[in-house]
Amino acid sequence: MQFFCFHLMPWDRIDESTLDAHKTVWTWLPNSHYDAVHGHELYNRYLDELVLAEELGFDGVCVNEHHQSAYGTMPSPNLMGSILARQTQRVKIAVIGNALPLYNPPTRVAEEFAMIDVISGGRLIAGMVVGGGPEYYSFSANPTFARSMYNEALDLILRAWTEPGPFEHYGRHWKLKYVNPWPLPLQKPHPPIWIPGAGSVETVKLVAERGFSYMGIPYFHVDVLQKNFDMFRDACAKAGNPATPERIGLLLPIYVADSDEQAWQEYERHLFYFAEKLLKGLAVFPPGYTSARSIARINQALKKFLMEVKSRDEVEEGFYAVVGSPATVRDRLVELRGRLGFGNLLGLFQLGTLPADLTEKNMRTFAAEVMPPLRKTFATKADAAAPAAPA
Amino acid sequence: MASDISTEHRIVEVAGRKTQVTIGGDGPPLLYLHSAGGETEWTLPHEKLAESHRVYVPACPGFALSEGLDEIEDMQDLVWHYVDLLDVLELERVPVVGFSLGGWLALELSVLRPERIERMALTAAAGLYLSEAPMGEIFIDDLDELRELVYYDPQDVTVKLSMPTSLEDSRILNWIRAREATARIGWNPYLHNPRLKGHLHRIACPTLLIWGRHDRLIPLAHGEYYAEKIAGARLEVLEECGHMVPFEKADAWAGLVREFVTAS
Repeated sequence: MQFFCFHLMPWDRIDESTLDAHKTVWTWLPNSHYDAVHGHELYNRYLDELVLAEELGFDGVCVNEHHQSAYGTMPSPNLMGSILARQTQRVKIAVIGNALPLYNPPTRVAEEFAMIDVISGGRLIAGMVVGGGPEYYSFSANPTFARSMYNEALDLILRAWTEPGPFEHYGRHWKLKYVNPWPLPLQKPHPPIWIPGAGSVETVKLVAERGFSYMGIPYFHVDVLQKNFDMFRDACAKAGNPATPERIGLLLPIYVADSDEQAWQEYERHLFYFAEKLLKGLAVFPPGYTSARSIARINQALKKFLMEVKSRDEVEEGFYAVVGSPATVRDRLVELRGRLGFGNLLGLFQLGTLPADLTEKNMRTFAAEVMPPLRKTFATKADAAAPAAPA
Repeated sequence: MASDISTEHRIVEVAGRKTQVTIGGDGPPLLYLHSAGGETEWTLPHEKLAESHRVYVPACPGFALSEGLDEIEDMQDLVWHYVDLLDVLELERVPVVGFSLGGWLALELSVLRPERIERMALTAAAGLYLSEAPMGEIFIDDLDELRELVYYDPQDVTVKLSMPTSLEDSRILNWIRAREATARIGWNPYLHNPRLKGHLHRIACPTLLIWGRHDRLIPLAHGEYYAEKIAGARLEVLEECGHMVPFEKADAWAGLVREFVTAS
């Protein structure tokens, strides 16, 4: 199993009355609540946490893209990826991902990803996403073209990386006479492609057929995730591309402390701040963003979503987060691995208001006491090459 | 709805696209262009107009059973679809009634094919951008909020005729499709064509504008602008009325429209 440290780089201080006054922390939460002086501290702290992940023996670090949101203050994950390319030496840098329809023209993604891959010496994992529903409001981008723009952009980027330029691209959404990006990625034929999905049938089929890797979008009940991953494995079998564990990733909030009680005591209010406040407005599906059939499917799944969860018991029953002593977290991850079959664990060790000291303690405890035994139990070829965590 | 007026559903081919047309009433023909809400099945406003006219209610691509949204990229494509549709329905020259999105469509049609439009009655028409009178946000999921946006009285008895009231409503799939079709042409630029203003002086057909005084989606200022720029246009304002004029004030609205279209 491969271990990744995922960061959303959230805004960590909005008072209750502000949150109560707004239906969402996305798109419309007035940016007068953003404080750049505090932002300076936050960005640097969050980058330090990702740099620490390498020191602790993680296999990779993950960043992602969101706009006009307190949930994640990282509109450009490529900026973070390029900083990490210089500040780390070994870890994979997973940018999951770039919201392709928001890049105009999308050859911009081919260029920037290639830069990160070249600077980092071939450590980039290239995430390609449609972008969240709220992003289509923030960019005034027409959601009814989201899928067709995404498909065209994805093909164009892969072609730009693998076919000698200059060539002409003549598509529905972009007409480019000279496609010829400098630089090209260091990894050949191109960096690994990871694509996250929330259970939309279209995404699962695409990832299965093209041989890419599927990352399950978190915050759903484990039953929902299991259905999605099973659907992915079926689609892979149909496509004749086996769904090896390396092709499946799970993003999951994790918190470890000395005992279950201590873990819950330290984590509970931060988890519920995240669930009740920062998730407000995430699950938005503008018209045409996905098919009516997928909207119906996801609407059902949203009944089993972290935002609806009110108690520790519900969190544990649904595996919305894994919280507890090292032994508890280990056992629950083994159980999850058995049900979901993922080979990449993308741990969210910081969320919402969780402060720096607890985040660091969480990461250190996980790396020292949870990661090594799991590595042994679920060894893969890639694990053989990974360094053991320092004692 | 219960009535003496017999109606029929037709599926016609328009440049290869299956298009649903609902037709009802007897009398001279009248073309009704529906709003983003998708009143494509026979309902209150059609019923009122059918007392004096044979009313044609086509559904735009992506609405109801009409297909072909994939080939519609913007309002321009939609207008050409309606040019073709007029031929298919053999409506050489016809009075047009357009509501909201349909009002915008009627305006574009009258610019592109002035000879096909005898006169037009536009109700709370989209199509304009006025910096001093911004339109409300129609692309929200909350049905309660939406109702408050478009109705003067959100408890109006006609609400259930014009829009679903919950996600469990049997019309919800059609509603989702209607919103997609609206977003296709109206997401950005938002429910307008920046070039339409420059064409308004070319509109020569008799034009009636009807607005609700309290329209929060498309403020009255839009009606006033059209009335000022379209030669000979007349604006009628209904009091205690929001955006959903043909439902909220069905009798008064139908009276104004009928008087206007029979004046020729």
